[in-house]
Amino acid sequence: MENKHLLDFQNVFYTYDEEDKDSFAVKDISFTVDKGEYVVILGHNGSGKSTIAKLSNSIFVPSEGKVFVDGMDTADEKNEFKIREKVGVVFQNPDNQIVASIVEEDVAFGPENLGIPPKTIRERVDNALKAVGMYDYRLHETHRLSGGQKQRVAIAGMIAMLPECIVFDEPTAMLDPRGRREVINTARKLNSEGMSIVLITHFMEEAVFADKVIVVDGGRILAEGTPREIFSKTEMLISCGLDVPDTVKLSLLLKEKGVPIEGLPLTEEELTEEYLRILNL
Amino acid sequence: MIKDITLGQFFPGSSFIHKLDPRAKIVITLCFIVALFLCKNFFSLGLLFVSALVAIALSKISFKVILKGLKMIVILVVFTGILQIVYNDEGTVLWKPFEQFGFQITTGGVFSAVFIIVRIIALILFSSLLTYTTSPTALADAIERLLSPLKIFKVNVNSLSMMMTIALRFIPTLIEEIDIIMSAQKARGADLETGTLTQRAKALVPVFIPLIVSSFRRAYELAFAMECRCYTGDNKRTRMKEMKLGIRDYIAFGVLLLLVAVVVYTSFFNTFSFFIFQQVI
Ligand SMILES: Nc1ncnc2c1ncn2[C@@H]1O[C@H](COP(=O)(O)OP(=O)(O)O)[C@@H](O)[C@H]1O
Ligand SMILES: [Mg+2]
Repeated sequence: MENKHLLDFQNVFYTYDEEDKDSFAVKDISFTVDKGEYVVILGHNGSGKSTIAKLSNSIFVPSEGKVFVDGMDTADEKNEFKIREKVGVVFQNPDNQIVASIVEEDVAFGPENLGIPPKTIRERVDNALKAVGMYDYRLHETHRLSGGQKQRVAIAGMIAMLPECIVFDEPTAMLDPRGRREVINTARKLNSEGMSIVLITHFMEEAVFADKVIVVDGGRILAEGTPREIFSKTEMLISCGLDVPDTVKLSLLLKEKGVPIEGLPLTEEELTEEYLRILNL
Repeated sequence: MIKDITLGQFFPGSSFIHKLDPRAKIVITLCFIVALFLCKNFFSLGLLFVSALVAIALSKISFKVILKGLKMIVILVVFTGILQIVYNDEGTVLWKPFEQFGFQITTGGVFSAVFIIVRIIALILFSSLLTYTTSPTALADAIERLLSPLKIFKVNVNSLSMMMTIALRFIPTLIEEIDIIMSAQKARGADLETGTLTQRAKALVPVFIPLIVSSFRRAYELAFAMECRCYTGDNKRTRMKEMKLGIRDYIAFGVLLLLVAVVVYTSFFNTFSFFIFQQVI
């Protein structure tokens, strides 16, 4: 039997301008996301990240190439609902994806569109709100929440659709550090419970936990690999306007000065451990 | 200051009034308003006023909130009262401050001023209770259901209700945005508070242009977010909260019917000669 990926981009091109076929926002993109995988897409502004997000659940249909969700072609209109149930997208601006004035009513919006019986909707909404830690806020007004809380409500709105994959399009770009932590921790928790996550970001620190990192620049995939592989290519990252996490910067600097650091520590814990190992020598 | 508007706000709760079917609440509110305009004597007006107070007490909404809502109409109330005193010349003359202009204060004027003021306050109290105790989504859904007979005239009631939900949801967001833009323009030296009326109106142009531009961007992004949650515009939507008339609603209707009966009887068929039963207006 053919091995079905949850999300499968095959040589995808997309243009916003039907007249000028050469101005592709996304060019020849191919990658896959499997069940339970945590994929991070890095790229600076205008590199085509949001376009990729919208291609992943049939909001946009490729100009050329194919996108498959669990084997279903996103270009096929009759798959639309099934695809959008399977792959949810959380966008950057928390204000512009909340439809209702009350938290629980907003989370119920998706399931209500599916025509599910009220009792089932109630269960889904309660579970989704618990999953993002917003159950106690279910009767609050959405516009009074903090950015991080709004974003978690938006995530709950997706979870209530029972997706297998959630694509986050720079979910933390408009948040303060605390909101960023809330959202990233929620994403990691969902991933640990088996949900596939695609996190689009330009914060390098958010990429270190990924199973796979994809770097895009000018609409193309520039590199793909584990966080360690990607962050060791410091020059490439800098050449496409990105940066490396501070921990990586520090270890590279120490290496340059002759400190015998082995490998490439990514997190603060890893760096501390490595440093302690060296000191014990 | 623009944020202090409490009118149209919703205060979640689980009181008798909160639990009434939103359709029942809308119909009852409309009937109450009609009764207020039918009533012609202090007895029935007082009865309606007291019922409004009882309804507020039942809703458990804090009295502070109610008073805050009333503050906004103080000017309207005072102005209407003064007009009544000035223009009503019936009854016995109480005082003639400017005799040469033919200006006099009469009992008729005072009674009708008091009558109209009480009437306006009762109107505001009762109708704001509707929005205080009903979530905007529930309100929109109820209006959708009440208007559903219009479907035979090909009116798209579902879309109307969705528009209302979104409009109500975005009012606070846009108000906040106006505040931000105004501050930003003031920081650039814009003078929004002095000058003639036309000057001030012109000064508002740089506030509204950015607001309109950003509203379009919000709409564009919200459309994607709604699509991601399987909204198509012609879904057969179900609701998490089913609307069902219950014993509470029948009780409320019963009380309303009684009130209306008393108002109509005392205002149109009364044979009493006590003061409070006499027709004031
Ligand atoms: N609605 C649009 N109409 C036309 N061009 C667009 C639109 N949205 C994005 N683009 C163009 O597509 C390219 C990729 O944009 P986008 O996917 O939003 O990048 P990113 O999310 O990485 O910032 C950019 O060059 C941008 O100018
Ligand atoms: Mg983007």
